[in-house]
Amino acid sequence: MTPYRLSSGGLVDRSKPLSFSFDGKEMQGFEGDSLASALLANGRLLVGRSFKYHRRRGILTAGAAEPNALMTIGEGGRTEPNTRATVQELYQGLTAQSQNRWPSLDVDVGALNSLLSPFLGAGFYYKTFMWPAALWEKLYEPFIRRAAGLGRATYEADPDGYEKSWAHCDLLVVGAGATGLAAALAAGRAGARVIVADEQSQAGGGLLSETATIDGKAAHAFAAETLAELAALPNVTLLPRTTVFGWYDGNVFGAVERVQKHVGIPAAHLPVERLWRIVAKEALLATGAEERPLVFGGNDVPGVMMAGAMRTYLNRYGVAPGRQVAIFTTNDTGYALAADLEAAGIPAAVIIDSRSRPAPSGYNGRTRIISDAVVSDASGGKALSGITVRTRNGSETIKVDALAMSGGFNPVINLACHRGGKPQWSDEKATFLAPSGLKGLSLAGAAAGIDGLAACLEDGAAKGTALAESLGYGSTQPSFGAVTGEIAPAPAKPLWTIKGVRGKAFIDYQNDVHRKDLGLAVQEGYGHVELAKRYTTNGMATDQGKLSNVNAIALLAEARGVSPAEVGTTTFRPFYTPVSFGALTGTSHGHHFQPVRKSPLHNWAKKNGAVFVETGLWYRSSWFPRAGETGWRESVDREVKNARKNAGLCDVSMLGKIEITGADAAEFLNRVYSNAFLKLPVGKARYGLMLREDGHIYDDGTTSRLAEDRYFMTTTTAYAAGVMNHLEFCAQALWPDLDVRLASVTDQWAQMAIVGPKARAILERIVDADLSNEAFPFLGAAEISLFDGAVHGRLFRISFSGELAYELAVPAGYGESVADAIMEAGREDGIQPYGVEALAVLRIEKGHVTHNEINGTVVPGDLGFGRMVSSAKPDFIGKHMLAREGLNAPERPQLVGVVPLDPAKSFKTGSHILAKDAAATLENDQGYVTSSCYSPHIHSTIGLALVRRGSSRHGEEVMIWNGLRDEFTPGRLCDPVFFDPANEKLHV
Amino acid sequence: MSKYRVTLRPALDGKQPIQRNGVSLEARPEGTLLHLLAPPSTNELPCFSEYAANLSLRPVSPGQWFAVGDTALPHADLQALASSLKSEADIVDQSHGRIRILVRGPMAMRVLAKGTAVDLAIFPVGHSATTLIGHITAHVTRIDEDAFELIVLRGFAESLWDELVQMSLEFS
Amino acid sequence: MASLVTCPHCGARPKEEFTVKGAALTRPAPDASQETWFDYVYLRDNPRGAYQEYWHHTSGCRRWLVVNRDTATHEIFETRDAARKVTA
Repeated sequence: MTPYRLSSGGLVDRSKPLSFSFDGKEMQGFEGDSLASALLANGRLLVGRSFKYHRRRGILTAGAAEPNALMTIGEGGRTEPNTRATVQELYQGLTAQSQNRWPSLDVDVGALNSLLSPFLGAGFYYKTFMWPAALWEKLYEPFIRRAAGLGRATYEADPDGYEKSWAHCDLLVVGAGATGLAAALAAGRAGARVIVADEQSQAGGGLLSETATIDGKAAHAFAAETLAELAALPNVTLLPRTTVFGWYDGNVFGAVERVQKHVGIPAAHLPVERLWRIVAKEALLATGAEERPLVFGGNDVPGVMMAGAMRTYLNRYGVAPGRQVAIFTTNDTGYALAADLEAAGIPAAVIIDSRSRPAPSGYNGRTRIISDAVVSDASGGKALSGITVRTRNGSETIKVDALAMSGGFNPVINLACHRGGKPQWSDEKATFLAPSGLKGLSLAGAAAGIDGLAACLEDGAAKGTALAESLGYGSTQPSFGAVTGEIAPAPAKPLWTIKGVRGKAFIDYQNDVHRKDLGLAVQEGYGHVELAKRYTTNGMATDQGKLSNVNAIALLAEARGVSPAEVGTTTFRPFYTPVSFGALTGTSHGHHFQPVRKSPLHNWAKKNGAVFVETGLWYRSSWFPRAGETGWRESVDREVKNARKNAGLCDVSMLGKIEITGADAAEFLNRVYSNAFLKLPVGKARYGLMLREDGHIYDDGTTSRLAEDRYFMTTTTAYAAGVMNHLEFCAQALWPDLDVRLASVTDQWAQMAIVGPKARAILERIVDADLSNEAFPFLGAAEISLFDGAVHGRLFRISFSGELAYELAVPAGYGESVADAIMEAGREDGIQPYGVEALAVLRIEKGHVTHNEINGTVVPGDLGFGRMVSSAKPDFIGKHMLAREGLNAPERPQLVGVVPLDPAKSFKTGSHILAKDAAATLENDQGYVTSSCYSPHIHSTIGLALVRRGSSRHGEEVMIWNGLRDEFTPGRLCDPVFFDPANEKLHV
Repeated sequence: MSKYRVTLRPALDGKQPIQRNGVSLEARPEGTLLHLLAPPSTNELPCFSEYAANLSLRPVSPGQWFAVGDTALPHADLQALASSLKSEADIVDQSHGRIRILVRGPMAMRVLAKGTAVDLAIFPVGHSATTLIGHITAHVTRIDEDAFELIVLRGFAESLWDELVQMSLEFS
Repeated sequence: MASLVTCPHCGARPKEEFTVKGAALTRPAPDASQETWFDYVYLRDNPRGAYQEYWHHTSGCRRWLVVNRDTATHEIFETRDAARKVTA
């Protein structure tokens, strides 16, 4: 026989049928069902195949710990593998597929693995590594990969939305069972900000499966009533369908809310999952306890189920487990199930109790009890058919179609151990309890090892009250009236090793670890709990040993002849249950993957036809193609030639810009730059070199003195944020006594370089000031107005291109308009926009360095900047390491130019320099090309390189070696300034 | 007069206000936003309101404030204000560098909690803080019981706007 | 997932708002010996337990802080503004 739906009873709504499919077969359930309860109600016992041996498996639990009933839910981009049917709410149209079977669940070829089981035992993976390596690729790996067959992820994009949110509270209550509800009510009534997170759709936890009454009310009605009161409190937030999965530093809890995992087609404006980061002053774990399986032969045959789960299916979902039910228990919970079965009209056939004199209080049933007995084996194929019961006097075979088991309870303490605390073994409770002395987190009810509904209610209320009081809220502890009709689980006398077992007795269902595997691990020297875990794989995979860990530890302890306390546990880490990548990603994908930073001249560039390139978060114009140009090089060559012949306009708004004020600003700059800044006159710009404290160059840029105590610094685009942080460090941490004030003004100014022989003539048409060479010479800096005083900006006569050039800064909102005006003013002079590609060619032609050269390994002398290191200054960042021997070694790489001997040949950035006839080996490496481009003025590829003793080797023939492509280009080292070495164009 | 016509293009040009159930988004005018820099030990700027009564002062950092107004301050007035305040603070004009976005409505807090870890429920009216909203740094001021004004770098304004649109989608 | 640092100016904020620089050492005097400078630039303790580091509240008040934290438990004992002199 198979399970079936009772005609009445349970909390499902029989007036609201829902259809769904399992492996293509249409089925029906009701609103309020889980997928698991609906499958059982349809008589479906076999729901999956095991991981390694492909054994038939049925539903074992009714909650988060489920190791067997893993299914692939949904279709297309919404496909979600490894979903536990026990926590999946049923919805209209749900499609579920079983996993890890071929061709079908009922006929699975992989089950042949069972025949190979002698080779697949503990240490299989370890031993495989020791077999002949040659067989890895062809034999072992494909086999293991196929065997490791949990569900498969879809390749289609997920069409649904996810998001993240922060939340704050005085008290986070994790779990809304009896304990959690009582605690939340106590703290909520006291006025504390409370968040109650519960993983189920319906709060109540065990109350929803309980037949005892509280103050005369059904337990589920009590839950509903308490929940309603909590929902009405403005200071209480309820998070249903929310699993708190991790406890992190600062008392932050990670949680995932399944906002729309219970609907077929999610509403587009809502996320399907929401990741919460909950900052709690205090947290109370009311996470209950997990029932422990018993380790007998065939304890995985479909039809064997946890006693508490069977009770949940019966009482909450109105599903009978079968017609002949056996209960194998070590404690009183089995009797609560027996009583409920009797009440439902399907009396249990037999209770097998491992205790010699069971005395369950409150049980008055008539079921046959075999005490001092064990189930040693369960038999059956697709469904349970019988059990072997052993007593001191012998054994008996009993025909049953369902078997409930209860080996005692393990408090769910995972969260309490996420920050390094180790679980503590309790001899009294025969299980592990949470570490003591935790800050910001405490446990209550079954999670704290407390038995029974009445005691849990009281413990929850007491701890909720105490926590509220400790947080400054006065309160009185709520009381809940009498609990009647409860059969509370008395502490179990543990039963680890069951004697007389014949079949495979599973400990970890999900990893197919059985009892003999652990014995083998101990025998082969892997008895340490961490080693045994890896050797046997016990406690791995999606359930992370929720059912198996304590049994495994106790069995290891027995095998080693020590106490479980001595064996200890492996480390508990987040996540408590699997969390989807979608939830962890939140909105950070597609358009929202990362912010985009746009220049104030973005629209100007766009309408001038720019091709954009992402540099960091910025979008920069690469080049501006024109009709008829066949490739980027053609555009770039034109832009470069035009800038040197006529004029060019380039957006340099993304350079870092920092305004520096304060009485000590000059002294400050003098200390952060290696060259002198104290005497920079007002109205002048100066190129500056910033070092790291270890003497290497950090960044370069220009700084202009706008007033006695006001400077304007530019940094490279790449290091803009870093330089600002660095300056703040110097000002705040190193020299707080200096009066220096820093403001990032990168976004305030649209900045453009106007470059070329006609630059002055063009600017004179829009700038109000006198721009003649005499009035505004090279390195001039001034606050100016434009368009007859309509706009106020700043003008700097600085040049990265070697041309007569200016950088004009105007308030960002005017940027596009001013750039348009410059283009218009320069039209007859042939001005053209140019992008970063042309900018690079112009600077390489002039031998100007960027972070390609300032690569973190160079000191000023390497780049020929020796004169920019002031020897007069007593102190500046980097001064004190510069004298070190290695930084002055004669063999250091130095900046040099490089050209191919044959102008028709080219080479790539990153190529290495070899002496002319040297072999291409690492030992012969002399340096490498840091920048290269095609120069339309030199008519060949040109490069800058850092080459050993480079500055004294101009003219030497070398070999340029591209090891990646195995290309050799004969070349010559030369002066790094390729164009206008006398700087004649700069000063006109 | 110059023959060139100069116009101002707002950073959030074309972004119409968004009205959802319980929350609205609106780009605020690009008026005046001054960065006031004083020594970090400075707790207040007693003279400020005397010279700039129409600007509201919002703390940024020890010794730093933003002074915010809806209309642009003429260049000459800014110069005058700078010299009047010289003994108290230096002024750096950020009127174009910082963009303001208003998030208003009973759900404003829920929307912003998707981006910031600041506990806005206990954030008093008039209070300011700089914080990350998602990946973007923004300065937040509670200007009213149900209204928060964000100040963000101009270059990130569009991205922050897009984020806020996404974050408020729940209430559409 | 998360971790909070309490900024003395801004309150508790997630670590993502901060940039960590490393050991909070006192910069030697300009005329200190080469050896002292070498130690300052290159040598670091690596204690298990309390450790003082410079953290920058980059996405907040932009102040540099000294954070005294436990390298083993991540517990933060104290944070203060780096400009605030303390007698060690």
